[in-house]
Amino acid sequence: MAFVQNVPFFSIMISMFSGIVSSVLPKKPAKWLNTAAISVIGAMSAWLLGYMIEVGGSYTFMMGHFPAPWGNEIRAGALEACMALVFCIIMLLSMLGGRKKLDEEVEHSKHNIYYILTDLLLSSLLALIYTNDLFTAYVFVEINTISACGLIMIRQNGRTIEAAVRYMIMSLLGSGLLLMGICMLYDLTGHLLMSNIKEAVHGIMEAGTYRIPMIITIGLMTVGLAIKSALFPFHSWLPDAYGYSTVSSAAMLSSLVSKGYIFLLVKIFYRVIGFDVICSSKIINVLFVFGLCAMIFGSVSAIWEKDIRRMIAFSSVAQIGYIYMGFGLGTTEGVVASLFHIMAHAATKSLLFISAIGLTDVSAGSRSFFDLNGAAYRNKIAGIGFTVGSLSMVGIPTFAGFVSKLLFAEAAVIHPSQKMLPTLIVLAISTILNAIYFLKTVIRIYVPEKDSVAKEKGFTTVSIKEQKLYTATIIAFVVLNLVLGMMSEPIIDIIQTGLGNFA
Amino acid sequence: MSKYWILTAILLPILGGALTPLLPFKKREQMMIYVEAVMLATSAIVIALIAHGKMSIFEVIYFVRGLSISFKIDGMTMVFAGLVSILWPLATLYAFEYMEHEGHEKIFFMFYSMTYGVTLGIAFASDMLSMYFFYELLTLVTVPLVMHTLTREAILASRKYLYYSLGGAAFALIGLVFLLSYGDTLEFTMGGVLDMAQVGDKKNLLLTIYLLAFMGFGVKAAIWPLSSWLPQAGVAPTPVTALLHAVAVVKAGVFAIIRLTYYSFGCDFLRGTWVQAVVMGLAMFSIVYGCSRAVKETHIKRRLAYSTVSNLSYIIFGATIMTPLGLVGALCHLICHAFMKICSFLCAGAIMHQTGKSYIYELNGMGRKMPVVFTCFTISAFGLMGVPGLAGFISKWNLAQAAVESGNVQAYFGIGCLLISALLTAIYMLSIVVRAFFPGRDFDYGTLQGIKDPTWKMCLPLMLFAAAIVCLGLFSSPLVGFLQDIAAGKY
Amino acid sequence: MNQSITIILAIFFPVICGAVILLMPKFRERKKLLKASGAVLVLTAVLALCVVTGGDTELTLLYLGENLKLFFRVDALGKMFAVVISIVWLLAGFYSFEYMKHEQEEKRYFGFYLMVYGILLALCFAGNLITFYMFYELMTLSSVPLVLHSRTKEAIMAGLKYLFYSLCGAYLVLLGIYFLSRYTTTLDFLPGGTLDMTLAAGHEELLLTVAFLMILGFGVKAGMFPMHAWLPTAHPVAPAPASAVLSGLIVKAGVLGIIRAVYYIIGADFLKGTWVQTAWLTLTLITVFMGSMLAYREKAMKKRLAYSTVSQASYILFGLALLQPDAMTGSLLHVVFHAFIKSCLFLCAGAIIYKTGKTNVDEMRGIGKEMPVTIWCYTFASMALIGIPPASGFISKWYLATGSLKTGISVFSWLGPVVLLVSALLTAGYLLPVTIHGFLPGADYDYASLKKSEPVKMMVVPLIVLACLAVLLGVFPNPLTSYVSEIIGTLM
Repeated sequence: MAFVQNVPFFSIMISMFSGIVSSVLPKKPAKWLNTAAISVIGAMSAWLLGYMIEVGGSYTFMMGHFPAPWGNEIRAGALEACMALVFCIIMLLSMLGGRKKLDEEVEHSKHNIYYILTDLLLSSLLALIYTNDLFTAYVFVEINTISACGLIMIRQNGRTIEAAVRYMIMSLLGSGLLLMGICMLYDLTGHLLMSNIKEAVHGIMEAGTYRIPMIITIGLMTVGLAIKSALFPFHSWLPDAYGYSTVSSAAMLSSLVSKGYIFLLVKIFYRVIGFDVICSSKIINVLFVFGLCAMIFGSVSAIWEKDIRRMIAFSSVAQIGYIYMGFGLGTTEGVVASLFHIMAHAATKSLLFISAIGLTDVSAGSRSFFDLNGAAYRNKIAGIGFTVGSLSMVGIPTFAGFVSKLLFAEAAVIHPSQKMLPTLIVLAISTILNAIYFLKTVIRIYVPEKDSVAKEKGFTTVSIKEQKLYTATIIAFVVLNLVLGMMSEPIIDIIQTGLGNFA
Repeated sequence: MSKYWILTAILLPILGGALTPLLPFKKREQMMIYVEAVMLATSAIVIALIAHGKMSIFEVIYFVRGLSISFKIDGMTMVFAGLVSILWPLATLYAFEYMEHEGHEKIFFMFYSMTYGVTLGIAFASDMLSMYFFYELLTLVTVPLVMHTLTREAILASRKYLYYSLGGAAFALIGLVFLLSYGDTLEFTMGGVLDMAQVGDKKNLLLTIYLLAFMGFGVKAAIWPLSSWLPQAGVAPTPVTALLHAVAVVKAGVFAIIRLTYYSFGCDFLRGTWVQAVVMGLAMFSIVYGCSRAVKETHIKRRLAYSTVSNLSYIIFGATIMTPLGLVGALCHLICHAFMKICSFLCAGAIMHQTGKSYIYELNGMGRKMPVVFTCFTISAFGLMGVPGLAGFISKWNLAQAAVESGNVQAYFGIGCLLISALLTAIYMLSIVVRAFFPGRDFDYGTLQGIKDPTWKMCLPLMLFAAAIVCLGLFSSPLVGFLQDIAAGKY
Repeated sequence: MNQSITIILAIFFPVICGAVILLMPKFRERKKLLKASGAVLVLTAVLALCVVTGGDTELTLLYLGENLKLFFRVDALGKMFAVVISIVWLLAGFYSFEYMKHEQEEKRYFGFYLMVYGILLALCFAGNLITFYMFYELMTLSSVPLVLHSRTKEAIMAGLKYLFYSLCGAYLVLLGIYFLSRYTTTLDFLPGGTLDMTLAAGHEELLLTVAFLMILGFGVKAGMFPMHAWLPTAHPVAPAPASAVLSGLIVKAGVLGIIRAVYYIIGADFLKGTWVQTAWLTLTLITVFMGSMLAYREKAMKKRLAYSTVSQASYILFGLALLQPDAMTGSLLHVVFHAFIKSCLFLCAGAIIYKTGKTNVDEMRGIGKEMPVTIWCYTFASMALIGIPPASGFISKWYLATGSLKTGISVFSWLGPVVLLVSALLTAGYLLPVTIHGFLPGADYDYASLKKSEPVKMMVVPLIVLACLAVLLGVFPNPLTSYVSEIIGTLM
């Protein structure tokens, strides 16, 4: 066994222990530890990714000394490594980009709690990515929920507390459903390890017994995770949670937390139940319909929204809809598109959140649209970042969003059934709606405000020199977007082979 | 000639434009010389490339799974790139004087020259994806030009333009994806790229998709009912409206429709189907609709914009005949209309620039005060009407010949629409001319004190365009012969 | 001189000179203007004469496009039209030297007057439909300034009405040309038509429709119902000499167009006995009757003459529609006669306006005492138009009536002559009152206030010449008749 294969284990452990260590550290070292942990994990993931691409396939890694079917397992392949890498990069950038805001918004005594929560969040995300064990998955889902709640609440004001409570309730509802699903599955199959469950499920399906319990199980788990990842119509907690929490939290919540659940769902589809079983159940049709509804509804809500942060949050609802729509197609191509969109959306949405904060900061902290006039001139780099993010969302070629749009459309075109035309039409309409609210904002931030008005409202100007870290973050995000948009082929290959290995 | 010259031609104005606000020009003249030099150099390269002739595919950026940004030179490229490269430097010259009082010149010329590069990108694009890429870019780089004045009206107009265009492109993308799945290749090939074995019994589906993509590209080509952005976008400074809304942007839409029809789906596949009837019907309706709205409109630029709506549909009508001759007619009008419309738009701009008047009822008696401008305007008006001996007649002749030749009864009615439109064109153009030259018996020329023709920078382009209208009208054989070769697939 | 150069000169010399006059400020001076215009007029007339006497010839000037050549061919029909046009144009031109004194902007008037002359000559010599169409449209555009010359609101509206009606007609013609270029062997004018019967087979109905639309289109210029409404509006508002040439000649351009399209491209045989002929005959007869009727009811002198033109032009079209040699002889003769007569009448009306300012027929009591020469000319011309033997109108109407009866088409063969006769009566009814009241003002006329107000020679001489022509051509019709029959011999 190559040493590099220990990377998943170490990744989870490093993040977890850095969290634990941070609890006794003062603010500054905690910050550095956090940054270092994320960077190191990212680097290791990249290493693993390189290795896995070279050798191909995937491997399982036994945790502790109990072998299957009792023990606890980690499973890694190129896809998992790639996900881990992307998640690390985005988390790192989100942390860097929101650092200044964090200093302003969060009580200093709470800072190291924030870093602890982040470390825990990362460890749970990594665990969700790598785990081969449903129960482990459940445990980390809960850890994930708790740390996410903390991240929302850390900025202690009424709004965030309310949002956190709502999030907590919805999330726990989702977790509960998931847990019930896992229990039922355990009842049916007697296993918790994914590969073993799959064999058992296969046997059950062959035998034709337990049809209805099986469907209920699938339903419970899917709905549970859908609630947690804010699929329409379970999205009501989302705008507040993303809209009012501190910006790093918002970026991470929207681009990572919900995506972790979705990745887990993919794993359940492929590794636990088997994709053909999922497809033959009606659950994907439900996902498809709700996905389409989300695409339209999220965008329409975003158009009506007058608060830029909430607008971006509603856009997330729409984007989650894309992902579920991809699942709903029930083809591997659809899932590939969805997985790519997980990355593309993660890269874009966090960029949007981070640059939006730059824009609102120079507009006297007001998040209302009407105060954003000319914000792009007051903070140039944020303006560029927001523009790039918007273009990517609209799906302009060379940006990440275009590739996922293309993949979705292709998946729809080669889809054999009735879902093709609705998908394509909704895709096109959703593009238009995206264009409406994002580009409306872009135009607004590039329309200069009169000096007198700017003075009256207390607008400020920030030059690039004053915010080097922020600038670097935005540039890194833009580059990430371009890389995803222009060099997507290897990533898509990884996703395809990864999905192949899942089966 | 090296293939990299194509890249140079596209990147030169884009980078050159991007540099404009950054370079430390001491005087306005320096900037003017710089911009004009970039334009001229680009045009020179483009013309040299066209003269060099056909060039095979040349990949620049590899995207994903066989999709790439790549360029080539074929007949359509030559037509469009050639047209653009002739018009752009002249319109730039005009813009120097016009923009003097509009402010934000550097930003303006930055986007202005970037648009040039992007338009060339559309012309040189060798496949659907590359074209789509530049098509989207074109929208983005022209939006700042539309909202240049930053008035509320301009911002609303640019928003509308943006939504319409991007929305259209979203539907066009559907067509692209279908071609990806059902075609042999995305590369533009005369006669289409559909793989008939794959199409099988899904013909109706593909026709529906063609309709969607047609409407998608039709947004830029301002086909009814997706045309309302065009007159509204007339709030932009005149060089922009002239060049973009009479030539580059709208012609890019038409160009894309021709590429889609003749080079991607293939007219053999489409001819005689219900979808041909639909698109031709739309084009016919737009022809009459645009003209009727133009007659009602009293703002001179909006009137010309509606006229554009109608004339663009002439081209689309030619394209929807779906025969080689139809293509000849369409391309012919694409070229002729560009000259006529840019001439009339620039005249309108000169009037607005010199007098500040923009409504038609304010133009009484100006013909005598601005003889050069109004003579050019009259020539372009006659050209648009299709007076024999001017460019418009030639293109209408070719369109009508194609319609007659096709034997399609609907196309016969299309000819009727062309002629109704010609009559309406006469009404809305000549009423301006008559007003300007014959203001009425008791008209007091004293009220027009101080109004005169603009300087050579504005007049020269006008006169050159007017001359071009006459030349195209009198000596069209080489051009039409060339277009016939293109339609026959020789280039 | 080389014949082709002469043709080019005859056409483009006046056009260019007209443009120069328009552009050069130095022609503001009246004397220079008149000298230049007079010289150009005469020179052009001489050039036209050279072309006419020089024998049949062909000239390809330019290829606008592949199938679009500018091509001139001097043939007998064209020569006849060219001669008539030159005579009237010259006379009306001299007349306007004096008449235009009381109008403004003479420079513009003469500039366009010369241009239209050249364009009309080009129409006569046009050798194919494309060339014809080109100059037809140019004629419309260049004659508009003549109509709206006075620049009153009424005149401008009338000018625009004229423009849009004419363009409407021109586009109907263009529609026909589009189709004909597909279904004919060539668009050159060849006696008997150039329809390619093998191509046309199976498309007869289409081609008939096209032919009908073309007739309607050219019919606009000739004031044929239902597109006649522009004529009574546009002709009277122009200055009198311009009305004279508009009514006398430009209307004939429409007639020439129909002759060229029907007899030289489509072919008379193709239309004979079809619904197109029936419809065409119906329209012309309606127009003949309606024009006369309206003229009879009209009080304004020039407007009455304009309605008369509507009616008379349709005499010609009726003859053409019969598609019969005798009737066509009548038509061509009427083209010539009506050109002289109607321009004479308009010039008379102009002279009255110029000298006395009277525009309504009711005001003209005793006018014959004031301007005896003018009114005598008017009377002779009127008699010719009514068709009182031996004046010219009689000859043409005779041929029209006999031709009509010979065709044997049911209803129309006898209905036509009846309508012509009724119309002739109406013509007498609307033209002669001026003469009667003019010379016989009644007992209560105040002879004391009478003053001689005969216009100067420059105006009177053209009147006399035209009136003489109107009468003498009726007395000695043979040379003309035989010339016309020769033309028709090649056609049918």
